[in-house]
Amino acid sequence: MTPSNLKWATLPDPTPAELARAADGEVEAFKTIVERYQGMVYSVAYNVLGNHTDAEDAAQEAFLRCYRKLPQYRSEATFSTWLFRLALNSSIDYKRRERRRPEPVEVPDVAAGEQAELGDGITAATLTSALHDLPNDYRVPTVLRDIYGLPYQEIADLTARPLGTVKVMVHRGRASLRLRLQAEREA
Amino acid sequence: MDCSYFRARINHYVDGELGYLETAELQGHLSFCADCAEELAQMSEVRGAMATWGRTELAPPPGFAERVAAAAALEPKPGEATVGRVVGDALDALDDTLGRIPLPGGRTIPVKNVLGYGLAAAAVLIQVERYLRRARELKPL
Repeated sequence: MTPSNLKWATLPDPTPAELARAADGEVEAFKTIVERYQGMVYSVAYNVLGNHTDAEDAAQEAFLRCYRKLPQYRSEATFSTWLFRLALNSSIDYKRRERRRPEPVEVPDVAAGEQAELGDGITAATLTSALHDLPNDYRVPTVLRDIYGLPYQEIADLTARPLGTVKVMVHRGRASLRLRLQAEREA
Repeated sequence: MDCSYFRARINHYVDGELGYLETAELQGHLSFCADCAEELAQMSEVRGAMATWGRTELAPPPGFAERVAAAAALEPKPGEATVGRVVGDALDALDDTLGRIPLPGGRTIPVKNVLGYGLAAAAVLIQVERYLRRARELKPL
C-alpha cells in the first residue's frame, strides 16, 4: 500500500459522457471511475475504520453505492466531493454494523523517505499507530474533524451523537494523540 | 499558576470557536505561560500532521478495481427499478424531506427510523392482540 499524492485531485472529474455510460450500466466505464478514485475512497475507509480488511470491504461497498446512485448524481457538487461523502457514509455505516475488534496494529506500508514524514518529527507510521490505538469513540470523531475538517454538527449527525459529546470526544482524542506522539518523540 | 481555565480553551481556540475577548485573554496568557504555549504548539503540530496525512492517498490492494467491477456487473443496471431500490429511494426521500427529530441531550434521530420503530411496534401489538383474543376464545368454560 503505497501512498500517492491525491491522484484524483489532479484529474478532472469524469465527463458527463463517461458518467452517462457508467450510469447506463457499462461496467468498463464504471471501472475507469473506480481506478481513478480508488485511492481516495480506500483512504477514507482506512482512516475511519483503522484496518485494511474492513477498509477494503467498506470501500467496495462505497463504490457499489456509487454505481447504484449514479443516475441521481447532479453536478451541483463536484463528482469527487459527492463520492467522498458516499465513502464517508459507507465507512461509518460499516463501522456501525460491524462492531468487530480492530486487527492488531497494522501500519500502512508507507514507503520510507520523505513521504513518511508528516512534519515536526511525526511520521505516518507513528501517527497511524497512535490513531489506531485510540478508542473507537474518540478515533472516528477525531479523524472526521482533524483529518477531513468536517464541522462538529455534521460529525454529530453522522455518528448520531450529541454535539457536546462529539466535541468532548475530539478534545480527548487530540489530547491522547498529543501525549502519545510527544512520548514517542522523547523515546 | 492554575492554567486549567486556559487549557480548557485551547481546543476551542484551535477550532476557531472563541470570541474576540476570549481569544485576546488566551493569547495574553500564552504570551507568558510557556507550558500552555507548548501545549498549543504540540496540538497544532499534531493537527498539521493529521491534515497532511489526510492528503495522502493509500493504494488499495492489487486487483481492487477488478473486484469492484465484477461485483457491479452482478448488480441490476443503475437506473433499473427493483423493489429494494424503490424502498431505499423512498426512505432516502423521506430522510431528505422530514429530516431528523431532536431528542433530549442534543441527540437527533432520522424520522424514517421513528416510522420504522412505530411500524415494528404496531406489528408486535397486533400479534399480541391476536394471541390474547385467541387465548380468550380457547378458554375453557
